[in-house]
Amino acid sequence: MEEHRVSAPRRHDQTLTTEPTSIGGNNVIWMQGRRESEQWVEQLRPGHPRHDRTVAKLHAVLLRVAFHELSRRLGPLRSIGGPEFDDLAQQAADDALINVLDRLDDFRGLSRFTTWAYKFVMFEVSAKVARHAWRRQPPSPHELAIERVPDSLPAGPGDRLEQQAQLKALAVAIGELTERQREVFVAIALNDVPIDVLAIRLGTNRNAIYKNLFDARRNLRASMAAAGYPVPERDAA
Amino acid sequence: MTDLRRLDEVLRAEEGDAGCTAGEDILDAYVELQLAGEDPARVFPGTAIHLRSCPGCQADHAGLREAARRFAGVEPD
Repeated sequence: MEEHRVSAPRRHDQTLTTEPTSIGGNNVIWMQGRRESEQWVEQLRPGHPRHDRTVAKLHAVLLRVAFHELSRRLGPLRSIGGPEFDDLAQQAADDALINVLDRLDDFRGLSRFTTWAYKFVMFEVSAKVARHAWRRQPPSPHELAIERVPDSLPAGPGDRLEQQAQLKALAVAIGELTERQREVFVAIALNDVPIDVLAIRLGTNRNAIYKNLFDARRNLRASMAAAGYPVPERDAA
Repeated sequence: MTDLRRLDEVLRAEEGDAGCTAGEDILDAYVELQLAGEDPARVFPGTAIHLRSCPGCQADHAGLREAARRFAGVEPD
């Protein structure tokens, strides 16, 4: 099916902050894999005498990575087996290879070439797993709409009555979110809908959904603080 | 509805979060710094923050880290 051939969408939305584009000229990573990476890039260039053989070798390793990654994510893929599983791995490897060859000039040597290439397998596996999950079991309407805030928190420090009051404040705050923020927060934070599946459901991409989630969380924190129930951020380390 | 995790985790929204897109470009470098025993948060603080909050990017990061370790050192013929 044509749908199977859709590659992982690139996410061009504006980011929340920026990251550096280099990590210094004498970093240990670059020095360790330099020769090997140069050889990969050189031999993958069209016209190189070893081009076809190198492309085949890269595809073979990308396929191994795809199989391994799909197996690692077997949780959400319980319904996939046999030929369908093999087909997903094959598609992920094929599309990752196309991306690698198309973006060869984007490789800047910030990592080993193979690690850079494996990254595209991860993106393809994420996209294909989400697409598969969406087709098999799209999020139900109740997973996107809040009916009630859970009435208990896992055991932890703090008074239970205080926790109940916090939850009531949270319910009010959720009601004050924009419709999209509420939909995203309820689906991901409360109902564990995978972010990429939700992105398909809402016709957008992961970064846009994440931005909605980030804004929802920030607004909820602000609303709860204003209501007298601030939620202190713990050390995330 | 699942059990509600602790509020501070459910509402995690740290300043400096780089978002998904920024991490896409450098995830390979981030992972290799980790595998080399260095702290990637020193170089890519926004992605380090992001990876604490984004389940999709957490999955990509975990997969790439394992793949980079397990399938390291593959050379072209």
